[in-house]
Amino acid sequence: MLSDITLGQYYPGNSVIHHLDPRTKILGTLLFIIAIFMATNTAGYIFLCVFVMAVILASRLPVGMVFRSLKPLAFIIILTMALHFFMGEGEQVLFEWKFLRITQEGLAMGIKMSLRLVLLLLISSVLTFTTSPIVLTDGIESLLNPFKRIGVPAHELAMMMTIALRFIPTLIEETDRIIKAQTARGADFSSGNLLQKAKNMLPVLIPLFISAFRRADELAIAMEARCYRGGEGRTRMHELAYTKVDVGAFVLIVVVMAIMAALRWWPL
Amino acid sequence: MQPLIELQDLTHAYTDAENNQVLALQKLNLQIEQGEFLAVIGANGCGKSTLAKHLNALLLPTGGKCLVNGMDTQDESHLWDIRQTVGMVFQNPDNQIVAAVVEEDVAFGLENIGVPHAEIRPRVETALKAVDMSAYALHAPHLLSGGQKQRVAIAGVVALEPRCIVMDEPTAMLDPLGRKEIMATVKKLQREKQITFVYITHYMNEAMQADRVIVMDHGQIVMQGKPAEVFSRVAELQTLHLEAPLAATVAADLRHAGLSLPRDIITNEELAAALCR
Repeated sequence: MLSDITLGQYYPGNSVIHHLDPRTKILGTLLFIIAIFMATNTAGYIFLCVFVMAVILASRLPVGMVFRSLKPLAFIIILTMALHFFMGEGEQVLFEWKFLRITQEGLAMGIKMSLRLVLLLLISSVLTFTTSPIVLTDGIESLLNPFKRIGVPAHELAMMMTIALRFIPTLIEETDRIIKAQTARGADFSSGNLLQKAKNMLPVLIPLFISAFRRADELAIAMEARCYRGGEGRTRMHELAYTKVDVGAFVLIVVVMAIMAALRWWPL
Repeated sequence: MQPLIELQDLTHAYTDAENNQVLALQKLNLQIEQGEFLAVIGANGCGKSTLAKHLNALLLPTGGKCLVNGMDTQDESHLWDIRQTVGMVFQNPDNQIVAAVVEEDVAFGLENIGVPHAEIRPRVETALKAVDMSAYALHAPHLLSGGQKQRVAIAGVVALEPRCIVMDEPTAMLDPLGRKEIMATVKKLQREKQITFVYITHYMNEAMQADRVIVMDHGQIVMQGKPAEVFSRVAELQTLHLEAPLAATVAADLRHAGLSLPRDIITNEELAAALCR
């Protein structure tokens, strides 16, 4: 049961998007999110939708799978739409019943806002689907490196993420084992109300924490024995390198932003 | 020739939870030669692990000296040289693997000491090959068996090209198959790369395969010598709460009953050969 949890949602593949440098993908995603918020009119939204669809197709991910990543946030998307529908200000009343009032402007706003959310989620899913967590960590470390001077602990953050990625499966296995051990001793994890259930989890959490601290201690000693002394003077086996494709991707995203700016300030 | 590791009156005292002074190591003298396979045995709490941690400066002596390749572990300027000379493999394979991919973990030590990017991959590949784990270079460590994980940990140390590897009960958490894998790996590395091994273990049949065995008790070395010499002293081992190999025990009993058998029988094969003569 617990072992079914997959970490991240990396979907291995061989597409152009998969092969992009992680920094390109992270920065590109951020820039695209800015582009999303530059959209004001229908033409802009249509253009964004076409672009996102093109990216999904280029990544050769199963389209259904990418769209399923919207599911966990479906409630928020629908709520956003509903709030704008019913609360939106506007002149052109389409429907009125007691205190409920739906205006054309509210309707349009609701669709636009939820569309923004959908696009934002889709493009970030493409990022996580096409980049393994390890590579993503490397990318984040490399992007944060320039901020070391102002005190951002780039290496330490990346090392923490690496160790977390390494140990989450181990700790999940351990949780499974503790649950079984406590069940064998008569612990009951399924009955009672929410509070009772939370209380019942204590015999699982306490051994888990103790063991995690012990692991951390041993790992620290093992790391020291292998000459670990922080990020200073460290080299990397996998060094990130931009290729021509990355340059192309940056050009593309700048063009997209330019088009969005044009559509915003000089609408068709 | 200068020994690789030399302990002179090594003493380690610490204060335990109840504020008592405990002497984990008492004036221990030991020389470890280059290329040797030294097994360390002893009951729980005899100071084996404390000794191991002194050999690469994870712990510092509170008295006496620990010299690694002539460098004093007290001297902080040699710390990283010492840790590169003496690598260490611990008991729990899960708690010493840092990265989520096998080859990245093997590269971890090399990245730490600043080996140039271009040299890392060949050294990682050589190390994985030395422990027969090349096929698993891109696997996730948590999906490997205990023996395989422990071999990855060994590869991580081997990649640093140390002269000595200290192993602190590396097989205690493994199944019999995993134990065999580790023993075979150790012997192969000793033979092919002339790596010195200090091998702490609870398993007598592992210690029997070493070049030299030392037996510890209360922070001191109480017996040492070739495995045949140590393990044939069945009665002495029993007073130290250690179990001699079955063949040695049987041979001692038979000698006691009046049979004339050579004193150095420790393996089943030797016993069988002596009885059939």
